[in-house]
Amino acid sequence: MSIEVRLHGTLAATRPGLRAGDPFPVELSGDATVADLVAALTLAPEDAHLVIVNGRILHDRAAVLAEGDRVGLFPPTGGG
Amino acid sequence: MERILRVNMTDRTASFEPVPETYRNRAGRWMTSSLVHDEVSPTCHPLGPNNKVIFSPGIVTGTASPTSSRISVGGKSPLTGGIKESNSGTGLGRRLARLGIRALVIEGQPKEKGFWLLKIDAKGAAIEPADAWAGKRLSEVYPALFARFGGKGKVDVCSIGIAGELRMAAAGVCFNDQEGRPSRYAGRGGLGAVLGSKGLKAIVVDDSGAKEVPLADKPTFEQGRKKLADALGEHAITKPKGALNSYGTAVLVNILNEAGGLPTRNFHEGRFEGAAKIAGEAIFAGNKERTGAEVYNHACSPGCVIRCSNTWHRPDGSEHTSCIEYESDWAFGANCGIDNLDQIAELNLLCNDFGLDTIEIGGTLAVAAEGGVWRFGDGVRAIELLHEIGKGTPLGRILGNGAVVTGRTFGVCRVPHVKGQNMPAYEPRAIKGIGMTYAVSPMGADHTAGYTIAPEILGVSGKLDPLNPDKAELARNFQYATAFVDSTGHCLFIAFAILDIASGFEGTVEECNGVLGTAWTMADVARIGKEILDLERDFNRDAGFTAQDDRLPEFMRSEPLPPHNTVWDIADVELDRVFGA
Repeated sequence: MSIEVRLHGTLAATRPGLRAGDPFPVELSGDATVADLVAALTLAPEDAHLVIVNGRILHDRAAVLAEGDRVGLFPPTGGG
Repeated sequence: MERILRVNMTDRTASFEPVPETYRNRAGRWMTSSLVHDEVSPTCHPLGPNNKVIFSPGIVTGTASPTSSRISVGGKSPLTGGIKESNSGTGLGRRLARLGIRALVIEGQPKEKGFWLLKIDAKGAAIEPADAWAGKRLSEVYPALFARFGGKGKVDVCSIGIAGELRMAAAGVCFNDQEGRPSRYAGRGGLGAVLGSKGLKAIVVDDSGAKEVPLADKPTFEQGRKKLADALGEHAITKPKGALNSYGTAVLVNILNEAGGLPTRNFHEGRFEGAAKIAGEAIFAGNKERTGAEVYNHACSPGCVIRCSNTWHRPDGSEHTSCIEYESDWAFGANCGIDNLDQIAELNLLCNDFGLDTIEIGGTLAVAAEGGVWRFGDGVRAIELLHEIGKGTPLGRILGNGAVVTGRTFGVCRVPHVKGQNMPAYEPRAIKGIGMTYAVSPMGADHTAGYTIAPEILGVSGKLDPLNPDKAELARNFQYATAFVDSTGHCLFIAFAILDIASGFEGTVEECNGVLGTAWTMADVARIGKEILDLERDFNRDAGFTAQDDRLPEFMRSEPLPPHNTVWDIADVELDRVFGA
């Protein structure tokens, strides 16, 4: 299945030429989880501190993804 | 000895008095809200002679404690009609603290027209005419004042801009950063207009010859200071080259956009298609392209180890403005439908120059667009409208009085405000806890009153579902803890570290004990916070506020917000439950 991924903050810098927030597709097997996606992106689990799937914040890394999901990955971040 | 400095603007006299015993441990927001509660008539006109403006550095401000150079500014707000505390990072509070001035009270009102300047130093306080500085942009005023009074290393400056001189309700109180830029604001609630109503254009503080801030218990202070410094250095958000240092607060743009909580085009949508173009990461990348180097952020005030304040550079590499905070970026960006950072930077610069609160003005422009004054996304026209405010034209004076006045003028019923103050950059229909905080805060819609975004979005101090409505206790506890932090003199951003690292929070309390000689424990944090909120709510009640003022605007109950398509569905009884009856 194809997942629409956006990397933010320092995570975007792991892919040369990628602008933070610009979407790109990632192909995964049908039962892939959030943890599988993080691994496929060669990110350390702790670096993907915040995972937002279709606008909902997912804290469960074992959650199963679905075809066409929009996934945003963020390092630890604050502001205000 | 710790003193209160009173400046009477009716006859332009200044006098010192000892801090009364009842106020012995109060500083920062605790001090400003106490003095406003005790000395200002809740029913007075905010721009009349009976209102006061109180300045107070925090409990540990002026010491070696990290990230502690905040100053609170309080009074009755001309924007909300209620009590106001707004705080800023600046060296000016440190200098006041070192001079032993726990509170500066500006009271009275001149009968004659004109503006004056207050100079405070180790010899005392003096007031001189300042008409020469009125009517000018603050980027002209600050360098001139530094040149006159000995340079930016010797003095710090507080000033109002043209907006405050014209008594606009969106006028903030400006302070300089460490480079002398007029860029740090106690922005919210229109206290700049109150200073303008008293004819006080500027305050210059020189602490030459002052002694160190006395410590009642140095070992306890040092122990606390180290615990807090360790927590700030360790936490991923506050550590050097962490998220705040690299990308500034505007790093939140993409997060709130993904979460569907980035208010867009006057709170019509929760996502902005241009978010990635205006986000903190885009600021970092744009600066790198234009200057040829990675530009990391700087400290807005002395002693800050978080260093989150950014700059934005023009195509030729020269500096355009500082600082494009998340709130300002959002206010002129997503909320106005503008995806051009150069235009956002110009709007930010003009607010800094005219003495305006960026949140209120961005919200006002969005309401004006809804009312047909201009088109969302037309950044060139938005800049022209800002100049109308700076020129004090009739249209400019309408806009400069904020979103509610502008909505009323142009027949707009969708004005996202609480108690007359425009909402900041978090959409309550998508993030329920911050909506409850907006609703019940005595300050009006204010994210800094209780930053529940930390657990609701950022996964700091817990992991809560933003759409879950059961947040009354969260909204209460965060407001109590925040009122305490606002009294210490620390920047609220220490909360990211101390909410996750318990020893950091202990250290913050120990530092206060070290300065004051108290024996506070963690339990005193909530006690003191509650005491402050009770004072503020008392004042508002006596000013005429009721439970019906603790509500969000009507349209949010009926208009679903994309992408979640949720409405504001928190029952009024839940809002009333935050602070009890």
